[in-house]
Amino acid sequence: MLTERHLQIFVAIADERHFGDAARVVGITQPPLSQGLRRLEALVGAKLFERGPGQVELTPAGAALLPFARRALNSFEEFHQAASAQDPEAPELRLGLAPEVPAAVGAAVAAACTEALRSTRVSVVTAPTSSLVAAVASGRLGLAAVLHPAVLDGLQAGPVTLLPTWALVPTSLVPDDGDPLRLGKLSGLPVAVRPRAEAPAARDLFLDTLALHRPTGGTVVVTDERAGLAMAAAGQAILVTADPQLEAAGVGRHRLVDDPLPVRLRLVWPQSRTPSALPAEVIPHLTKALAAS
Amino acid sequence: MNATEAQSTGRIRAIFEDAGVRGWLHATPLDRPHETIEIDSDAVVPLASVYKLPLLVGFCQLVDQGRLDPREQVTLLPEARTPGPTGLSLLADPITISRRDLAVLMMTVSDNAAADALLDHVGLDRLGTILGELGLTRTRIRRGAADNLRALQRSTGAPDADAALAVLADNDRTDPPGVYEAANASSGTARELTRLLSRLWTGDLLSAEQTHFARTTMERQIFQHRIAAGFPYDGVRVAGKTGTFGALRHEAAVVTLPGGDAYAVAVLTLAARSDSRLPRVDAAIGEAARVAVDLLR
Repeated sequence: MLTERHLQIFVAIADERHFGDAARVVGITQPPLSQGLRRLEALVGAKLFERGPGQVELTPAGAALLPFARRALNSFEEFHQAASAQDPEAPELRLGLAPEVPAAVGAAVAAACTEALRSTRVSVVTAPTSSLVAAVASGRLGLAAVLHPAVLDGLQAGPVTLLPTWALVPTSLVPDDGDPLRLGKLSGLPVAVRPRAEAPAARDLFLDTLALHRPTGGTVVVTDERAGLAMAAAGQAILVTADPQLEAAGVGRHRLVDDPLPVRLRLVWPQSRTPSALPAEVIPHLTKALAAS
Repeated sequence: MNATEAQSTGRIRAIFEDAGVRGWLHATPLDRPHETIEIDSDAVVPLASVYKLPLLVGFCQLVDQGRLDPREQVTLLPEARTPGPTGLSLLADPITISRRDLAVLMMTVSDNAAADALLDHVGLDRLGTILGELGLTRTRIRRGAADNLRALQRSTGAPDADAALAVLADNDRTDPPGVYEAANASSGTARELTRLLSRLWTGDLLSAEQTHFARTTMERQIFQHRIAAGFPYDGVRVAGKTGTFGALRHEAAVVTLPGGDAYAVAVLTLAARSDSRLPRVDAAIGEAARVAVDLLR
């Protein structure tokens, strides 16, 4: 009987042209790979590969059947996805993202979750750091990217990742020349900050650092970065953001000299003994996705 | 726990959350030990310099038993003294001093050099036995400040104590694993600290003379920025011992109100931020103590 595994072996050998590499791709060792190929060739009634010295080549029959094998594998994949969407019991990873996580970074972490945890459904929510930490602690979320520093009571946490920030400054205050700016010189307008209760420790660190470099100029509280950007476009505020995509007419983007206000992010997840815990081996993969983006 | 009590521990939790700390608290009136205000009071927490309080009690007990002479002079050479921000730790030349004066420096200015010298005289084993006899089963004095700094240097890979502490104070770095693990350090619980203070104050731990010595020494502590800051009145006496190490900020104290009512309070915190100065957290410790005492009045 033809199985999904036979097709995986066929396609992997065709792609890798090397039995050892193909076995690694399928996630098995070489003997069962060779055995699977022999069975498939018996089922098809034709040789699919020629094994020459140091290389593996498709036979004409193999080349003819390969597109069909790919199509069949895609159908299998679609079937698995449809099945896991139907099954409320299928494992689900609920991922939380703090609003300060740039959209592309959050997307990279979510994609890494799907890649690392196959057949797991991933759902994503955005909420302030303090809510996310509480949700992970209670097991309602399986993973969250939160601002550092935050009180992490009994949670596991990955390394601190620093994202550099830009100041989005109205062109009415500073010409849009892209030049790096000194934070101390940006006292002409208030800096937009999000509510303190969302992440008291991280927000205090931001405000204390801001006040050290820039004793005057003040701050204005905004609900999110969209509001902050709109304030900047209206010539009313300066927005400090780690999001490289945020832009608006009349707003210039500048690096800050010495990057004094980086966004510090950290992945947090429940302790390993809890039911919602992530498998330990996927963690490095996920923290890498946060750091690499 | 009744509704009012739940409300007020809620108030204390809100103080901790606003200050960006994990907090542990136990408070009890000295004359009504069954009334308590508690937040995770049985969790075992690294004590930092609050370990000097059980060390003081151990020292005074050995004096009472005639096994240590409090007046005996000891000479401490500068190269053998533990570094620290206060007291003998700062000085350059050999010091000759009595054991009881070491205890005074240890408690009033949290002198690391004095405390380690005293710990040598008391001994970790003897101190452990004393704490066991007092029923403080969760309080473990594993090492003094010198060994603590050496362990930190090992886990950070830093060349000296100052560099190791700088690693802890960096918000951009992940703390080295185990630095704030209770199992690696001298540790205890908020409940056992107030039990120790209550028994010390009511006089059933030590002789009248040693009780007097311990209480007056603790009333002379110079640090006023934590629990004492919650009681800004000349008529309120606060006799305490602080503890600070990296993100840990603690104090255990007896607060005596003008009428004479006294309360044992232990507030232990671990801050999210790594900065070595966090006045908001110091103030929050005072606020939390104040709310707890007011609730018990």
